[in-house]
Amino acid sequence: MSAVATNLWTIPLFVIIPIITAILLNLLYNKSRTIKVIAIASSIVLFVLALISPYGFQWFTGQPGVTPGGTYTFDASIFSYRLSLEYYFGGLQQILITIMSLLLVFVVFLSASSLRKNIGPYIALIFLLFMSSAIIIMVNDFYHLWIGVEMGSLLLAGVVAASGESISQKAALKYTFFSALSGAGMAIALAMILGVTGYSNITNAIQYIMSDNLSSLSGVLYIAFGFFVLSWIYAGGLAPIHPLKSDVYGSAFPHATVMLQTQSKLMIVAMGLIILRLFGTLPFAREVMLSVSVLTMIMGVTMALIQTDLRWTLAYLVVAHSGLVTLGISLGTVQGITGGLFQAVNDIVYMSVLLICCEAVMYFGKGTSIKTVGGIAKRAPWLALAVVIGAFAASGVPPFNGFQSEIILIQASLSSGLPEVAAIVLMVSVTTFIALFKPIYNIFLKPDNSPIAMEGDAGAGIATMAMVQPTSPVPKSIYLFLAILIAIIIVLGVYPQLALGFVQDTAIKVVYFPWVP
Amino acid sequence: MIELTLQFLSFMASALLILIGIAGMLFLDNLIKKIIAFTLLSDGVNLALVSLGYFEGGVVAILTPGTSVAEFPQNAVLIFGPGIVLTNIVIGVSTTAVLVALTMVLYKRYGTLKASKVLKGERK
Repeated sequence: MSAVATNLWTIPLFVIIPIITAILLNLLYNKSRTIKVIAIASSIVLFVLALISPYGFQWFTGQPGVTPGGTYTFDASIFSYRLSLEYYFGGLQQILITIMSLLLVFVVFLSASSLRKNIGPYIALIFLLFMSSAIIIMVNDFYHLWIGVEMGSLLLAGVVAASGESISQKAALKYTFFSALSGAGMAIALAMILGVTGYSNITNAIQYIMSDNLSSLSGVLYIAFGFFVLSWIYAGGLAPIHPLKSDVYGSAFPHATVMLQTQSKLMIVAMGLIILRLFGTLPFAREVMLSVSVLTMIMGVTMALIQTDLRWTLAYLVVAHSGLVTLGISLGTVQGITGGLFQAVNDIVYMSVLLICCEAVMYFGKGTSIKTVGGIAKRAPWLALAVVIGAFAASGVPPFNGFQSEIILIQASLSSGLPEVAAIVLMVSVTTFIALFKPIYNIFLKPDNSPIAMEGDAGAGIATMAMVQPTSPVPKSIYLFLAILIAIIIVLGVYPQLALGFVQDTAIKVVYFPWVP
Repeated sequence: MIELTLQFLSFMASALLILIGIAGMLFLDNLIKKIIAFTLLSDGVNLALVSLGYFEGGVVAILTPGTSVAEFPQNAVLIFGPGIVLTNIVIGVSTTAVLVALTMVLYKRYGTLKASKVLKGERK
């Protein structure tokens, strides 16, 4: 649990490499081969960096900490008031950034293979999305958290609008309008906490709140909590504004949605843990978070059930499963938080499998609606197997990874004296199964009776996809990526301790030592 | 009885700007007017942030030659508010740019700036 390095060299690289790559890709614009080489090399470097990085801090602006005795220190293990903007890289950050960078490799490859024009700016946006997500999950000060969330929202709008369909541009416009409201709220919450505690560093602010008389601050803290929760709801696409986020997921390219849903999960986890650390002592704080989580799960799966397009079913299921992540965090116990964080890891992986399968279905030229496409299992049996494994994992069927995290969430709910919440988690699993197998049956198993090729309005935007051309062959790379992700699903399902080791430490710190990042 | 201090008045002004901005974003139908309402909201938030750090008789939080180091912490206004405002201005400009760009694209496609018409029939 102890920090080892004050100025860890890898942390700035998670920010600098994506920025430099994005600038280069923008300059290269449409030189697809060079762009592909640079982007894939850069994403592999980020993946290796996440794997080998030691744990520690980075004091970004270089100022020393001030000890209570008034002396200066650069040692992160000594208690001090941190003047620098602080980042932390630990077990949770390592597993999440490793998975995100692995997905970045896949998404970059798929984008470069399937897009016909303006590849550079599009992949540059994906890299910047990675950067903002890495900032959000590593940050230990309010100021950077706010900037990371704001950047992430704008980049998300850019990636969605880039698909060029009118529905995507409308979704991006609506999302950006709401980002204005949420960003303003977060700025006010940030100012309130700074005004009350005097610290932008989260560790120092928590120590101040815990050591001082809370009742004298609680009025301001309640308002700040309200604004923070509003931003959390917005950033994670939680209920009651979940239609905004599901519109965004459903209208982006499926491979882009892989990154978008990963970014949302990271935002939910990072902001949820900060809310719990900072406001966990406020009465009703956990209850408010729990209510949002339950509402998100119920609304998400209900909407998923009535969809007739695989893309939109997945869009709503991503939202519903975000509720599972927030549920674990909201329980506020070690078991609950461990389950929530493990669910975030699992959710990112199995949803990516389903979204990549959805992208592969688009190569058959008839879209992803159950009304227009059918009989895929006969033409692509391995794809059918992959989508079934992804659906089983999402529905919490053993021996896949979703089962392991959902069982922890159910146990945590029961241990917290909330059997009704455990029942809702079970209901979400069952409903996910039903919601997924309706489109899977129609698209993969039912005979294809429709000869009409899909007529999308893609082509007007900055990034036009080759895959909307009727019946392009599914690239072999898609099968390779699916095989890797399914291997992760099975390994985490059989050996959950491999991931639990990374997240359990964070859960213990949040509950017993909330000031430790 | 509430004292009408400069800080109180500026809080009231910022609340008014925020309310006008939210109302405009929610109820105006023209996309450009919605964007203008967003800038009003952003300005309201900025004014609130500056007002948070203000106090009567305070000095700018920059230590200049001749200023008493002992008295400076007591007299300087809170620096956090203006610091956040600087960033918020940059974020506001970026958000406005994205909104205007998307509005232009949608205007070219639909030939109208009415949000009710542009967003009509959005789902396939």
